Amino acid sequence: VAPTPSGDAPSGELLLQVRAGDDAAWTALTRRYSGMLWAIARAYALDDADAADAVQLTWLRLVERLDRIRRPDRVGAWLAVTARRESLRLARQHGRDQAAGEVVAAIPASAPGPDEVCVERERLRLVMTAIQALPARCQRVLRLCALAPGYAEVAAALDIPIGSVGPTRARCLSALRDRIGGLM
Amino acid sequence: VNPAMDDDELMAEVRAAFTTFDAVPEPVLAAGRGAIARRVPAAVPADLIVDSHGALSGRRPGHLPRRAAALRGTSRLLTFKGADLAVEVEVTGTGRDLEIVGRLSPALPAHVRIRHLDGELTARVDRSGHFIVPGVPAGLMSLVFRLPDATSIVTSWVRL
Repeated sequence: VAPTPSGDAPSGELLLQVRAGDDAAWTALTRRYSGMLWAIARAYALDDADAADAVQLTWLRLVERLDRIRRPDRVGAWLAVTARRESLRLARQHGRDQAAGEVVAAIPASAPGPDEVCVERERLRLVMTAIQALPARCQRVLRLCALAPGYAEVAAALDIPIGSVGPTRARCLSALRDRIGGLM
Repeated sequence: VNPAMDDDELMAEVRAAFTTFDAVPEPVLAAGRGAIARRVPAAVPADLIVDSHGALSGRRPGHLPRRAAALRGTSRLLTFKGADLAVEVEVTGTGRDLEIVGRLSPALPAHVRIRHLDGELTARVDRSGHFIVPGVPAGLMSLVFRLPDATSIVTSWVRL
């Protein structure tokens, strides 16, 4: 039987392979979830250094708990909860009010490049500007929905009921659509 | 941007915007990939159960306001508990030069590695279970004990 390409394997299977010593499975897990973990740290208004710290500690916690994760199939939600806790701890230490904080980094100035790259970048800049005009809660939900593999992870990351993820996502996308319309 | 696009198309634009303007930095990705090298197979885990800094757990000494540092002293007590064993650690000092004084109980002669993000330090644990390690950098830290019977004990990561 040919091995499943680890890029497509369910996360629970990847975790079991990591336990058995498969480093490629670990690489696949980090590729799948690093974007989500970074988004969680940002959702709690951490700067670059603290966000890097929170993501790093989340991976080290998984390594330290590898053999004790009871539900390997829910490793994504476990990572999200762990990243939320570590991010909140760092945010509190630095006295930030995460509810009031800017959750999206400033958009860097435009860099010169081939025309099609510029056009693409300008379009995304418009999207980003519209996102930044949304309430903080919508910014967080949209970012997590964009970068987490599923609703279970989004709910765990933001500590909201899983049933509210879909409706909130729809409401925030609708608000985003209005903002984009207003910018054009 | 076409405002008439459906939810999934719009979400794809949101994803592209975030990965363009706030991508995960490559060193963060590399640190994640490299974290698996910190695994100690078959080790007995010892989890943090007491931290004298309590709610301040993990606050870097360098960030401690001077008043609070004076009130609390600069010493921090940590207790890790594993199956049938405990590790008590006192951390003193500030900034990049901390000192760890610890005790392993039950007392066993052992070898201890103090792992941090830039490398590790090593020390002997004497017959009474005591060990002392100067020059520990602030930041994330985990201890690994190697016992005479070749078993290992690994503590959870803490932020000094």
